Amino acid sequence: MAAPCRKMASRSFSQLLCYFSRTAVGSGACRRFSVTSIDRATPRASTAADRATSPWSLMAAVCLQRLPVITADCSPIEQRFKQMLQQMELEKSMLSDHELRLMEDAERMSRRQADDYDSDEDLGDQEIMMTQDLEDSWEQRLKNFQPAPRVRADIDEDLTSVQRCLADSLVLLAEQQVGAEKLWLLPQAAWQEGETLRQTAERALNSVTAAGVKATFLGNTPCGVYKYKLPKAARTENSVGVKVFFFKAILADGTPGSAPTASLLWLKKSELQKYLKPAYMMNVGRFILNL
Amino acid sequence: MNHIFRKVRLIGSFLLLLLHTVYVNMLLSFCFVSGTAAINERQYRDMPTHGIGRWRHLLLKQAPKKKKDRNQQKELVSATDTAYGTLNVTVSGYDMTVVEHYSQYIHNFCNRLNIKVAESYALPTKSTEVLLMQEQGNKTYVDAVLKTHRRVVQLSSLNASLCPVFMDVILKNQPEGVQLSVQETEADYQARFKARPELEGLKTSKGKIT
Repeated sequence: MAAPCRKMASRSFSQLLCYFSRTAVGSGACRRFSVTSIDRATPRASTAADRATSPWSLMAAVCLQRLPVITADCSPIEQRFKQMLQQMELEKSMLSDHELRLMEDAERMSRRQADDYDSDEDLGDQEIMMTQDLEDSWEQRLKNFQPAPRVRADIDEDLTSVQRCLADSLVLLAEQQVGAEKLWLLPQAAWQEGETLRQTAERALNSVTAAGVKATFLGNTPCGVYKYKLPKAARTENSVGVKVFFFKAILADGTPGSAPTASLLWLKKSELQKYLKPAYMMNVGRFILNL
Repeated sequence: MNHIFRKVRLIGSFLLLLLHTVYVNMLLSFCFVSGTAAINERQYRDMPTHGIGRWRHLLLKQAPKKKKDRNQQKELVSATDTAYGTLNVTVSGYDMTVVEHYSQYIHNFCNRLNIKVAESYALPTKSTEVLLMQEQGNKTYVDAVLKTHRRVVQLSSLNASLCPVFMDVILKNQPEGVQLSVQETEADYQARFKARPELEGLKTSKGKIT
């Protein structure tokens, strides 16, 4: 147990430059990301003294999240409050340039229609486009604009689609072979000599998903750990159990790819309970935020 | 017989009292040498409570405050094994209230997590004019002017174990229409200054002479 931690501490840190943007939903249902990471140091070769023999074998898992793409709907109280605030703001606000121009135009029209109209009073050129016409053309363009539907019920039902439930954040779950049985859990892989735990987590992600998936890891440190003991039959001198370290990552903008190697699910936090074992769920639920 | 004794006792006690006061007076006049008052006279001419509320003489002496305290660049912390160095969290967007509120939220969040915030400043606003082609003609006309506001929160040192938690929370609370960017400070800071060619020329010439 002491070995990998010490190794992580002695390695000097890779600087992370991340750029996250939450603008219009362009391609796909993911946010656009760009990451540049500068890795400065080469890992120190581990000496024989470092490697203490410990009965726990190590694994690293990745908690890949897809952040929400659209805003969540407001509750009734929030809607009423929002309306009230908007009304207050409207009443306190001053007239904008556009509204002032509308009023001026209306006044000019009324002056022209008056009986005692003197055309010399009209200074300046006549505008080709009256302000009211501008407003009408804008309204026309708005009517022609068709926004995409916010909630698509059929896609929401499909648990394997990345585009379901655009208002919530989803977590990736994979079905993996652990020991003798197949379990649903966060994608994990065993730690190997000469790599950091974060690299193990990246390997786990690449092995479970297709190549096109891009993920940004949020840091070099794990956010949680889960340890379990092997069943008595499988326990030996050297292996008592397994410790799994979880790393957080955010899904960058990328198409899900052709066909993932294992069966994958994108689930909300409330739905995780049906698929994960209780002890595992309790541990994992602590670091998955339900914001 | 009793009343005689009583009178004698009274007179006796009165004499004792008189002697006592005379004695005390003599004592006092012996004790105070340099002509200060006897017990009947006052020390000060005005109120006895003069200066009762005085407290400033009890404070420790403070060094005088210098005027030129602001606009000094704080030292940039370099990265260590367990913490990132100085980081710039830049929030940018078109809507100023949303951008400012989000940067305030990040600042308050850092205070709550005891992450040291070195500075919090705003970069100049950039105006972008959106020109659209007219439908019937070839001329473009100005449709809108968009202003990009940018606010920066500079964190002096972020613990590596806290980083994923911090990033996750601010990403999940990011409002719509706002871009978030986390970068190292060095390049950002130098980008704000204009190049000074004459200074660099002088430096090189000075190097040649000496």
